[in-house]
Amino acid sequence: MKKLLFSLLVLVLLAPGLAFAGGAAEVDDGVLRIGVILPSGRDDMSWSQGMYEGVSAVVANMGAGNAQMAVTENVPNPVDAGAAIRDYANQGFNIIIAHGSQYQNPLMEVAADFPEVTFAHGTAFETSSNIFAYDPQAQLGAYLFGWLAAQMTNSQVLGIVGPVRAGDAIKYNYGFIQGVEAANPSVRVLESYTGSFGDNIQAKEMAEAHINARADILTGTAQQVVGAIQAVSENDGVYWFANDTDQSPLAPNSIIASQAYSWETVVQYMVDSHMAGKLGGEIISLDLTNERIQLVFNPVLADLVPADLMAQFESKKADVASGAIQVRLPE
Amino acid sequence: MSEFFQATVLLGLLTAGVRLATPFLFAGLGEMLSQRSGVLNLGVEGIMLIGAFVSFFVAFESGNLYLGLLAAILAGAFMGLLTAFVSVTMKAVQGISGIGIHILGLGLSGLFFRLTMGSISTMRGFPRLAIPILKDIPVLGRVLFNQNWMVYAALLLVPISWAVIYKTTFGLKVRSVGENPHAADSLGISVTRVRYICVVIGSIMASIAGAFLTIGQHEAAFVNNIAAGRGFIAVALVYFAKWNPLGVLAGAFLFSMIDAFQLRIQIIDIGIPYEIPVMLPYIVTIVVLALSTRGRVLGPTALTKPFVRGVHT
Repeated sequence: MKKLLFSLLVLVLLAPGLAFAGGAAEVDDGVLRIGVILPSGRDDMSWSQGMYEGVSAVVANMGAGNAQMAVTENVPNPVDAGAAIRDYANQGFNIIIAHGSQYQNPLMEVAADFPEVTFAHGTAFETSSNIFAYDPQAQLGAYLFGWLAAQMTNSQVLGIVGPVRAGDAIKYNYGFIQGVEAANPSVRVLESYTGSFGDNIQAKEMAEAHINARADILTGTAQQVVGAIQAVSENDGVYWFANDTDQSPLAPNSIIASQAYSWETVVQYMVDSHMAGKLGGEIISLDLTNERIQLVFNPVLADLVPADLMAQFESKKADVASGAIQVRLPE
Repeated sequence: MSEFFQATVLLGLLTAGVRLATPFLFAGLGEMLSQRSGVLNLGVEGIMLIGAFVSFFVAFESGNLYLGLLAAILAGAFMGLLTAFVSVTMKAVQGISGIGIHILGLGLSGLFFRLTMGSISTMRGFPRLAIPILKDIPVLGRVLFNQNWMVYAALLLVPISWAVIYKTTFGLKVRSVGENPHAADSLGISVTRVRYICVVIGSIMASIAGAFLTIGQHEAAFVNNIAAGRGFIAVALVYFAKWNPLGVLAGAFLFSMIDAFQLRIQIIDIGIPYEIPVMLPYIVTIVVLALSTRGRVLGPTALTKPFVRGVHT
C-alpha cells in the first residue's frame, strides 16, 4: 500500500502543469479576457501558432490595461479541452476560443451554461447565440497553389502529405487537386495521410516516399508538416507550398509560397462584436475577398516563378476570389 | 500497381524501413536490458523527448553535433538515475512511476524548448556516411551501408547486446537479478547496483533514440512531442521480442518495414481507405504476437517486483 501511495505521490508531483503552459486571469472589471485552447504548441509554425499570434496581436493593440489573454496548449484531446474551456468560463473570461474542429461538443456543452460569455471554434459550422464558428476556406489558396504547381513541375508528379482526412486538411487537399486538374490533368497527384496531426517524423518519411516516387513539388497541412518540409529541403530541386502561416523561414530555399490565415482580423472581429453586445451566432469565413487569407510568396524563390506565369496566377486569383472560378468542397 | 515494384521504389522502401527502425532499436535494446534486470521503465517516451531536445539544443548552440549527442547521453543518465531511484530505491510501482517519468519528460522538453529557443529552428544533422566497398553491394549496400553512422551504431548494438547478456558475467548477473534476485543476492550480487546500471544504460539508449529523431536527421529540428509514441512502441517491442536482442531487431524491422510499406502503398492509390494502411503496422505486430504463443517465453520472473532482502513478493 505504501508503495502504491508513493507511486501516486510521484505521479502527482511530476505531472501538474508541465505539459501545459499558460495561466489564469483574475476577474477585473473593464478588462477583456480572452482564453485560448490550442491542440498543439503555440510555436508549431502552423495552425496553433497562427491563432496564438493573432490573439496576441489583438491584445497588444488593445493594451495590457484593456485586454489580457491566457493560453492552454498541447490539448488535442476534446475531453481535456472541455475542462479547460469550463475553467476559463468559471474564471470570468469574456471570450474563449477553442481552436480545433474536435472541440465542438465540449464547447457547445459549456457554452450553454455561460450565456454571457462568447465562445468560438473552428474549422466549424455549428453556432448559437453565444458561439462563433470560423471557417477558413482552405480550398481557395490550395486551388491556386495546385494550379501553379502543375505549371511548374518538371516530373509531372506532385505530392500531398496529409494529416488525417478531415477538417481543414481535406478542404485544402480537395482544392489543390482541382487546381492541378484545371491546369494540366495529366499531372499526377500523390495523396496520402500520416494518420496524425503532429507526427513530424512520420510526415518526413511520407514526404520521402513521395520524392522517391518522383514528386518534385509537395504540399500539406497541420503542424506535422515541419517534418515533411525537412525532407523537401534535403532534396535539391524539390519544393513545397505551405499552409496555415508563412512557413518560408523554416526552409527559405524550398518553400515557394504559403497560404497564411489572418487570425488577427478574425479575433478582432469577434472582440468588436462581443463589445457591441453580439456574442455569437455567426460563421466567420476566412477567404480571399475579405483578405483573411493571404498568399505569401517567398522572396528568396521569386525567380522560380516567371513573370508571365505570375501574371496568370494573379488573374486566376482574382477569378477565384470573385467566384468566377468555383472551387468545390468535399461532399 | 506495377510501378510499386520498380527497383527504386523498393530500394526506397527498404532504406526507409532501416531508418525508421533505428530509434526502436536504441530504445528497445535499452528497455530490454532494464527489463532483464527486473525493472519496467515505462518512461522511455519521456526520456526520448528529453534526449531529442537536449541534443538539438546543445548542437544548435554549440554547432557541434557530437557535443549534442554527449549532452543527450548525460541527460539520459540523469533520467535513468531518477527512474532507478524511484523504482529501485524507493520501490515505487513501476508502471505508475514510469508514467510520471513520461509526463515529466514531455513537460520538461516542451518547457525548456519554450524557454531556450522559443520557436522551431533547423540545422544540419548527421549526414549520410556511405561505407566504402560495402555501399557498392547490390541492394544491400544502398539499404544498409548508405545511412548515417547512428543507424550503423544501432545495428551494431544488436550483437553487442546479445553478447553482453548471454556471454558475459555481467549479463549473467543481470539475468539472475531479473529472474531470482534473492538467489542472486545470496551469491553476493548487489541487486540494487545491477538494476541501477541497467536502468541508467537503458535510459541513455532511450535518450540517444530521441537524439536520432533530431540531430540524427540530415535536416534536424526539434518540435514538441517529436517522439509521438515511439517510446511506447519500443516498450511493446521488448515483449514482442521475448526479451531477446535478436527479437528486438526482428520486431523493429517488422514494424518499420510495414510502416514504410504503408506509406508507399497509400501513394499508389489502390482504392482503400487510408486508415487501413496506417493501422497495418500495428495490426501485423499484434497478429504476430498473438500467433507466436507456441514456445512462449515468459518475461523475467522478477519483472516489476521491487527487491527487499528477506521479503519474497
